[in-house]
Amino acid sequence: MKITSLRNGASLRTGVLTASALAVGLTGATAALAEWKPNRPVELVVSAGPGGGSDIFTRVVQAALTKNKLVETPLIVVNKPGGSGSEAFNYAEDNVGSPYKVYFGTQDAYVLPLGTKVNYAMKDLTPVASMVFDVFILWSNPKASGINTAQEFVAKAKENPGKVRVAGAKAKDADETVVTLMERAAGIDLAYIPYKSGSEAAIQVAGGHIEANTNNPSESLEQWKAGNQKPLCVFTSARLTDKTVVADGMSWADIPTCVEAGIDVKDFVQPRTVWMAADVPPEAVAYYTELMKKAMETPEFKDYTTRNVQITKFMAGDELKTFLAEQTKNYEKIYADNNWLLPASQ
Amino acid sequence: MGNFGQLMDGFVVALTMHHVMIMVIGVLLGLVVGVLPGLGAPNGVSLLLPLTFTMDPIAAIILLTSMYWGALFGGSTTSILFNIPGEPSSVATTFDGHPMAKQGEAVRALTLAFGSAGFGAMVGVVVITLLSGWVANFALQFGSPEYFAVYFMAFASFIGMAGGSPFKTLVCIMLGLAVGTVGMDTISGEGRLTFGITQLTNGISFLIVVIGLFGIGELLLTIDEGYKFEGVKAKLSLRVILRTLAELPRYWVTLLRSALIGCWMGITPGGPTAASFMSYALGRRFSRRGKYFGKGEPEGIVAPETADHSAGSCALLPMLALGVPGSATAAVMMGGLMIWGLSPGPMLFTTRPDFVWGLIASMYLGNVIAVVLVLATVPIFAWILRAPFTVVGPLIAIICLIGAYTVSNHIFDIWVALAFGLVGYVFKKLDYPLAPFVLAVVLGDKAEDAFRQSMLSSGGSLSVFFEGSLVATMMGIGILLLSLPLLTALFGGLFRRGAEEGQTSRP
Amino acid sequence: MEITRKTMEVATAVLTGSVGALICYGSTENGIGWGPGGPEPGYFPFGIGCLILLGSLATLVQTVWKHAGVHHAGAVPEEPFINGARLRLLVAFVLPIVAMTAISAWLGLYIGMGLYIFYTMRVSAGFRTLTSLAAALLVIALNFIVFEKLFMVPLLKGPILEYFGIY
Repeated sequence: MKITSLRNGASLRTGVLTASALAVGLTGATAALAEWKPNRPVELVVSAGPGGGSDIFTRVVQAALTKNKLVETPLIVVNKPGGSGSEAFNYAEDNVGSPYKVYFGTQDAYVLPLGTKVNYAMKDLTPVASMVFDVFILWSNPKASGINTAQEFVAKAKENPGKVRVAGAKAKDADETVVTLMERAAGIDLAYIPYKSGSEAAIQVAGGHIEANTNNPSESLEQWKAGNQKPLCVFTSARLTDKTVVADGMSWADIPTCVEAGIDVKDFVQPRTVWMAADVPPEAVAYYTELMKKAMETPEFKDYTTRNVQITKFMAGDELKTFLAEQTKNYEKIYADNNWLLPASQ
Repeated sequence: MGNFGQLMDGFVVALTMHHVMIMVIGVLLGLVVGVLPGLGAPNGVSLLLPLTFTMDPIAAIILLTSMYWGALFGGSTTSILFNIPGEPSSVATTFDGHPMAKQGEAVRALTLAFGSAGFGAMVGVVVITLLSGWVANFALQFGSPEYFAVYFMAFASFIGMAGGSPFKTLVCIMLGLAVGTVGMDTISGEGRLTFGITQLTNGISFLIVVIGLFGIGELLLTIDEGYKFEGVKAKLSLRVILRTLAELPRYWVTLLRSALIGCWMGITPGGPTAASFMSYALGRRFSRRGKYFGKGEPEGIVAPETADHSAGSCALLPMLALGVPGSATAAVMMGGLMIWGLSPGPMLFTTRPDFVWGLIASMYLGNVIAVVLVLATVPIFAWILRAPFTVVGPLIAIICLIGAYTVSNHIFDIWVALAFGLVGYVFKKLDYPLAPFVLAVVLGDKAEDAFRQSMLSSGGSLSVFFEGSLVATMMGIGILLLSLPLLTALFGGLFRRGAEEGQTSRP
Repeated sequence: MEITRKTMEVATAVLTGSVGALICYGSTENGIGWGPGGPEPGYFPFGIGCLILLGSLATLVQTVWKHAGVHHAGAVPEEPFINGARLRLLVAFVLPIVAMTAISAWLGLYIGMGLYIFYTMRVSAGFRTLTSLAAALLVIALNFIVFEKLFMVPLLKGPILEYFGIY
């Protein structure tokens, strides 16, 4: 591998790069690459609006890095929620080669182009890292809907085909995808209702207007404690590990997996991913990869993952690339099954 | 009463020297941020957030909320002086505030705005203090049909008020709705009305529309009117400020009505922007001097300002109790809460009463500080107005353009704002009403989402909007408000034919 | 050159009408029917487009009809939309702004605003060259401090500032 060109004028001034060319893409090889450092404020671009999951993830990273003085330059969080988040990645296309912009998203980066007309392609992005996985849980409102377990949920859906309503965030995004997977696995027909955010969907269920919702644990946690929502099952292959009691004498670990409960949907999780634009200097990628790894070690980040009952798994370099390719293929299949693929998918 | 005791504890928390200092700093920063449309409260709060990581949560939230108050006040300042709403919720303040400032009474207009805003905020905080437990449960009763009914009511109150040609009003409302539609559709996840243009996929930001229509549009009008910018006459004496403050109690009916509307819209998902519009419209309808609205009428400033601030305060309650932010700024603050390790939700009141009541107590103090500080800035702004238009005009133009750019860092947005500037200028000269246009941009998209969510959940039956007492009542009020002008036009028209002919007003 | 109110009314109505038609056309891409789960994505936009078209047509007819009436009655001529002198003033104000935007897109906002302030101070307000230059630099510096340093909102820098290593 050989670096022939550097598009960014500013980074030319930071030094000659040929020496580090060998180590490109190898996450562990930090020694040779330690030269590069940002010398100006770095933008952390979020593919979602303020208050949502991706936004908080980004701000936690920002907090962890600044509080522990892991960066010397200021970090600025920029929200770009337009076009379901494609605005953020489109911004990457506009800023090819800029090492001062890091993009934070979920699976949206590689899933969006499958189903919607977006103005970027995967070649406009350089994957940096995937830091944690958010799990999904199926929730109900036990008081209003009388549904207390996943089995009851399936039974009710079978009795009233197309009538049991499930709320989630956005259309054709993670929530709706998992609902369609559930429909197919359990042979049921549900009515999916999209809201602007996961917390809005949770409130609709807590208020008894909708029977159930799928959500990341943290967004429904408080309503669970208040008795307005109950977790039915978790979309992972193994149970969660946190054994501290949350509410009703139940802990996260007491929630059955959906497979146990008879809905055969395994391992539907949401990666929290970090990207850069195309054609960025490889040593910048290496720098941010290392930085994200360091962020994960901080107490702030650990608090965050505990609170959100996330699965921590750091991936970068080739491992990440394989993972992304695999994920994209999975989603392509789901999208094809759901008839969501763009007619002329590129 | 338990709440009162807890509030007193809250005051003990908030009234330390350290916290009062933080409030002052927060309010000052907020004023700067609110005055510049390119920054705005959500942006400002978002920028301060990293600073709070090392603070304790109570000090941090006090800093952020104080900044929020400061920004709300600052937003009204530019609305009145330059017709540029620094914040979306201060659009309605431009309708009468700017005309009054243009007549040389800028100081009076500013004082009226700040005084009534302070009153509104106070009512909001009192409501929060007394009803905090009840509000959370009440807010849970709002499903999609109820959301739609709230938007419908806000709309209905406004539709009849525009004078002039009904066809022009229709065109304006529909154009506003169309602007709100552009971009990604929540329900289907498809892009709409984008015509294959990249930037349109991201939607057209409300702020850009407003900067264009009002800020740039007003600049063009000022030139058209021959540089009539009579800020020069602005008397900057303490006596004017005091006299105006003494004048306020005279508008007690408007103050109370607007505060109630504000609280209602703040607790329900309407939000401050819709509250200020609705309050303005109802003020115009029910005030004896309603027909002078739009020409620099004091009540036309009092009504939207009071409602804006009472809604702004009340909107923090759903955020704390449900985790559903009532405004963009509240959304950023909520992110802050989560980073500090607090989870907004019904349990926050029991798990962290010191935090919640410290915050509420700081809202009382923060608002008092904000009113005092902002009144102190009035002479500075009056001084700026004394500069000749050939100097101020280009500066306002730059502020507008930077404002449009910073919304999402696209030069494209500047072009959009310029285009809306021309539209604003032409529409205003031809008596196309701009207010319904703006309201349609704010509410149209939310109302459509709520409508379609209701349809999806009811299986396509329209009867959901009339089942259940809450939604039926709200829809009933909405329909009544909608038909009121028609009825008065029908019956009134029979008697007073010709009496008001030839009088056209420009709202 | 003078533009009459009638011309402007007609032009505006025609413009809004074509926007309406465009919206109708655009919404057909999303499906404009009423499906089993309520309205399709294009349902409301299509209606909106139609109503704009309708309202514009009505305004057009009203304008033409009203002016025909006025003409017959031989009433006092209406105040024009804008007269020649004002129009020139307006154009003289708008063109530099457009130029500034175009320059900003290319060389960054700071250079754009500097040139613009220099131009308006020198040409429109008639200050001396040195004063105008100082004012332009002051505006740039103020904005730079407020946006870049105080509130850390990065504005577009453009290649020249980038070259000098200003960020």
